[in-house]
Amino acid sequence: MSAKRVRLLIWKEFTQLRRDPLLIRLLLLMPVLQLIMFGYVVAVDVRNLSTAVVDLDQTVASRQLQAAFSGSGYFTITRTPASEADLQPLLDSGTIKVALVIPQGTQDRLGRGETAPIGIIVDGSDSQISAIGSGYASQIIAQFNTDRRTSSGAQLDAPGIDARVRVMFNPTLDPINTMIPGLIAAIMMISLMVIMSQAVVKERESGTLEQMFVTPIKATEYLIGKLTPYAALATAQMALVALGGLYWFKVPFNGSFWVVLVGLLLFMFTCLGLGLLISLVSRTRHQAQQAVMFLMIPTMVLSGFIFPIQSMPPAIQPLTNLIPLTFALEVLRGAFVKGSGFEALAVPMLALAGFGVVIFGASIIATRRRIAE
Amino acid sequence: MMATLTRIGAIVVKEFRHLLRDPRMLLAVVITPVIQLLLFAYAISFDVENVPTLVVDLDQTQTSRTYLEQYEASPFFEVVAHGSTLADVDTAFDQNTARVAIVIQAGFARSLAAGEQAQVSVMVDGSEPNAAKVSQAYSVAINQLYTQQLTRQWADAQGLDLSSVGMLEPRVRTWYNPERRSSDFLIPGLMVVIIAIVTVQQTAVTLVRERDLGTEEQLEVSPLRKVELMVGKLLPWTLIAFAEVAMITGLGRTVFGIPMRGDFWALAVGAALFVFASLGMGLLISAVAPSLDTANILAMLIAFLPSFLLSGLAFALDQIPVVLQWISYGFPARYMVTISRGVFLKGAGFPEVWPELAALAVYAVVMIVISSVLYGRRARR
Amino acid sequence: MSSWADTVSSAPPPATTASDRGAISARGLRRTFGDTVAVDTLDLDVPTGAVFGLLGPDGAGKSTLIRMLATVLVPTAGEASVFGHSVTTERDAVTPRIGYMSQRFSMYPDLSVAENLEFFATIRGVGRADRRTRSQALLASMGLDEFTRRQAQHLSGGMKQKLMLATTLMHEPDLLLLDEPTTGVDPVSRREFWRILAGLHRAGKTVLVATPYMDEAERCTHIAFLDGGRIKQSGTPESIKALVPGRLLEVSATDPRAALAVVRTLPGVASVHLLGDVVRVLWEAPSEPVGPLTSALVAAGLHGVGVREISPDMETVFAFLAEADAPPGAGSEVAS
Repeated sequence: MSAKRVRLLIWKEFTQLRRDPLLIRLLLLMPVLQLIMFGYVVAVDVRNLSTAVVDLDQTVASRQLQAAFSGSGYFTITRTPASEADLQPLLDSGTIKVALVIPQGTQDRLGRGETAPIGIIVDGSDSQISAIGSGYASQIIAQFNTDRRTSSGAQLDAPGIDARVRVMFNPTLDPINTMIPGLIAAIMMISLMVIMSQAVVKERESGTLEQMFVTPIKATEYLIGKLTPYAALATAQMALVALGGLYWFKVPFNGSFWVVLVGLLLFMFTCLGLGLLISLVSRTRHQAQQAVMFLMIPTMVLSGFIFPIQSMPPAIQPLTNLIPLTFALEVLRGAFVKGSGFEALAVPMLALAGFGVVIFGASIIATRRRIAE
Repeated sequence: MMATLTRIGAIVVKEFRHLLRDPRMLLAVVITPVIQLLLFAYAISFDVENVPTLVVDLDQTQTSRTYLEQYEASPFFEVVAHGSTLADVDTAFDQNTARVAIVIQAGFARSLAAGEQAQVSVMVDGSEPNAAKVSQAYSVAINQLYTQQLTRQWADAQGLDLSSVGMLEPRVRTWYNPERRSSDFLIPGLMVVIIAIVTVQQTAVTLVRERDLGTEEQLEVSPLRKVELMVGKLLPWTLIAFAEVAMITGLGRTVFGIPMRGDFWALAVGAALFVFASLGMGLLISAVAPSLDTANILAMLIAFLPSFLLSGLAFALDQIPVVLQWISYGFPARYMVTISRGVFLKGAGFPEVWPELAALAVYAVVMIVISSVLYGRRARR
Repeated sequence: MSSWADTVSSAPPPATTASDRGAISARGLRRTFGDTVAVDTLDLDVPTGAVFGLLGPDGAGKSTLIRMLATVLVPTAGEASVFGHSVTTERDAVTPRIGYMSQRFSMYPDLSVAENLEFFATIRGVGRADRRTRSQALLASMGLDEFTRRQAQHLSGGMKQKLMLATTLMHEPDLLLLDEPTTGVDPVSRREFWRILAGLHRAGKTVLVATPYMDEAERCTHIAFLDGGRIKQSGTPESIKALVPGRLLEVSATDPRAALAVVRTLPGVASVHLLGDVVRVLWEAPSEPVGPLTSALVAAGLHGVGVREISPDMETVFAFLAEADAPPGAGSEVAS
C-alpha cells in the first residue's frame, strides 16, 4: 500500500469538496441548524403554561394556592373564569393549557382536617404538557401542604415520612443536558451516512469510479482515501456541536474525555460502514438519499434519541438494541451527564465495537468485491 | 379548453407511468409512510409508566414493608430489584437498571413508633428529565399521602386537633385524551408530516428531472404551457397525497382507535389546501434548484426538519424562542397540525379552524404563483 | 463517391409561391454566452424544400444556431424567421410547423417507444386517430415496429435516433431542425436515416441538419460551413466543389509517407495530404497528371504505386478550403 497514493486520494477528495459549494454550506449549516432545532425546540422545558383558575372558594387559602401556582414559574395565570363551564371554549381553542378548579368549601375542609380535592385539568392533546404539567401541579400542591403544616404553628409531634427527594445527575433536569450529548452522536451518524454515500455515488454517476480502477490504485487505498476526509469532517462537525453545547447552552460535562473519544471512534466505524453500504446499493444520488432517509427515520425514532425507550411498548424495546445509535447515546449521555467511566459503560462499548466490526467489515468486503468486478 | 385538458391528461398519464416503473419510488411513497406511521404511533410515547425502581430496605421491618407497598401498588413505579447497600444504588444508576431508588434507613419503624419523622431517601436519575420530573412529583405525592394517613391515625388516637392535618389532594383530569395515549396525540400530526415529506420531496425533484433528462426542450417547442405542465405534474402527487390521508385516517381509526370528534369536512378541506401548499413548496424548490442534488437536499431540509420539529407534531411550540415561532408560521405543516389535531381530538369544525384554513389557502396560492413565474423565467435562458 | 448521394436528387424542389421568403431567413443573428460568442452575426437563407447541411467542427456554433431557430434559445441580437414568422415574437406560429431534434437524447428513458410517441404527439395536439395511423406508418418505415414495447433506454444508438425522428414527425411539421442526428450511430443506421430524410425531401419537407460528417454533406441540396460562429462558405455542393481548382488524384504506395514526400516536391501539385493510407493530390497544372506522377514515384524507388483520378469529395474540398484559410507554414499534412 502506498502512502503517497493515499495522500493523493485524500487531496483529491478535499479538492472536490471545495469545488462543491453546496456541500460545504451543508456541512457547516447542518450542525448549526441541528443545534438550534434540538437545543431550542426539542429540549425545551415546560414553563409558563397558560393557566385558568376557577376559584369557587374565594378564601385566603384559595388565594394562597393561586399565588403558589403563579409564583412557581411553571404556570402563568391568564384567565380567571367564573365557572367550570367557561373552561370549555378556552381549552378547545388552546388559549389555556391547564386549568385549576378550587371547589367551594375548600378552606373549611382543610380546617376540619379533611382532604380537600382540587381539580386540575390538563390539555391532553399535548402529551408532554399533560404529563409534566400535571406533575408540576401535584408538586406545587404537595409543597402547599407541607408549608401549611409547618406554618400552622403547632409543630405536631406526629409521625411522618420525611422524604428527601434528590435528583442524581442533571439536577436542574434540563432536557438539553441530555439532548446535546445525544446530538453529537446523531450528527456524526447523519453526516457520515449522507455525505459519504452521496460522494461515492456521485463518483459512480460521473463514471470516474471506473476510471480509477484501471489505475494502480488498490481497493484499500481507495477506501482509506475516501473515508478519511469525511471522518475528518464529521469530527469537525461534532466539535462544533460540542462547543456550541458546552459554551452556548452551558451543558455540563462531568465525565472523561477519553470515554467519549473511544465511544465515538467505535461508533464511527459503524457509520462509515453504513454510508458505504448505502452507496453500494444506490445507482443515483437520489436513490442514496432515499436509502438514507429510510434508515434514518427508524433510527432516530427508536434509538432513544428523542423519545425515551422506557416509554416504548415492551414488545418494541428489545428492537432498540438492533440500532447502533442506541448504544452510542448511552455512552455519550453516560459520560456527559453521569460521569460514567469505562467500567460502567462496558456493555454499550462492547456493543458498539461489535457493530463496528460487523458493519464496517461487511461494507469493506462488499466494496472490494464490487471493485474487483 | 379541450386541448388543455388533453395535454394535462397526457402529462398525468406519463407521470404515473414513471412512478409505477420505479420500484424505489413506490417504496418511498407507499410503503415507507405506512411503516413510519406504525412505528411512530405504536412505539413513541412520552408517557411515563413502570419506571424501574430499586428498593433498599435497611430497616427490614413490617412497618417499612407496609410503607414500600405504596410503591409496589402504584402503576407508576415498578420495583425491579431489592438492594442491600447504598452501593447498589450507584451500580443500578450507572448501568441504567433503575431510574429511581428508594432507600429506607435503619430505624424507620422505631422513629415512627416514637412519633418522629422517619427518614426516607428518594433518588431519581436525572438523565431522563421527563421521567425524572414525573417521578419526583409522584414520589412526593405518595409520601405526602402516606404521611397524612399516619398523622391522622396518630392524631385520632391521641384525640388531638386535626386542623393542621388537612391537606389538598390534586385530582387530575386530562381532557381530549383521557387515557393519555400518545398515539392520539401523535397520529393526527404525523399524518401531516408524512404527507409533507412525500409531496415536497417528490415534487421538488420532478421538474428538475425533466431538465436533466433533456426532454424539457421538446416540451418547449410544443404548445404545452408552463401552467399545464405544472398542473399535470402535480395532479398525480395530489391524488397520492389524498390517498395517504385516507389511508392514515383509516388506519388511525381502525388500528389505533383514534377518535374523530370534529367535522371531517374541515379536515378534508384542510388536507386539500395543505397538499397544494406543500406541492407549491416543492415546486418552488424545483424552480430555484440548479441541480438534482440541491433539490434533494433543500427538500430534505425544508420538508423534513420544519415539518417534524416546528409543526407542533411532537414538541410544543409555545415554549420555544419567539424567532423560531415566527419561522414555524412560515411552514404550512404548522397550520395543518393544528387543524388535524383540532378535528380529531377537540371536536373542531370550520368555525374553529378557519384562520388556519385561510392561511393554508394563501400559502398555496402564493407558492404556486411564485414558482410558475420563476420557472417560466429560467426555462428560456 | 457515395452511391446513396443520388437518393437525394438534385432535382429542383417543388414549386413554391411567389411570396415565399424561404423556410428560414436569418439576419445578423448573434448569440453570446457571457464572454463567449457562439454565433457571430450571421445571415442565413434556407429555401423551402431544401436539405440544408450545416457543417463545421465542434464548437463552431451549429447547435446554438439550430436552437435559436427552434425558438429554444433567445438570440442576443439579430432576427430570424421561419416560414415568415419571427422566432422571437411569433413563437406560437413557428412551433407547430417545426420539428426539432436535439443532440442529446430527449426521450423518456423509462417509457416505451410507443409511449414516447404517444406522449409527444398528444402534447403536440395530434388527434387520436391520426396518432394511431401515423405512428404505425412511421414505426414501420423506420423498422421500429418490432420494438414498440421496449423502453427507450434499452434501444441501441441508431434506434434511439430513429425514435427521436419519428417523434418529431408525428405532427407532420414542414421544417425539420436536426442537430447532429447521426453522431455516434453505426454506418448502417446512418444510411437508413438518410434514406428516410430523402423520402421527406421528396415529400416537399425542408430539412436543416447539422452534421460533422463530410460525406453526409454530399447528400444535401445546400450546405454551409460554419466555423467560429460564422459562415465561411455556403452554396450547393457543386458550387462549393467548383471552388477547388484543378483535379483530384489518389496516390497509393506501400509506403504512403514516402510517396507524400515525393509528390510534394513535384511541380503542378497544389496541395497534398494523407488520408488513411493514400495520398490525396490536388493537381492544378493543365497537363495530364497520371503519367508524370507514376513515373516520378517509381523513379524514387517506391513499390505498389497506383495513381488514379477521383472526383472531389467534401472532405477534400473543406480540407483545401481550411488550408487556404490557415496561416502559412501550417503544414499540408492533414490527419484523416
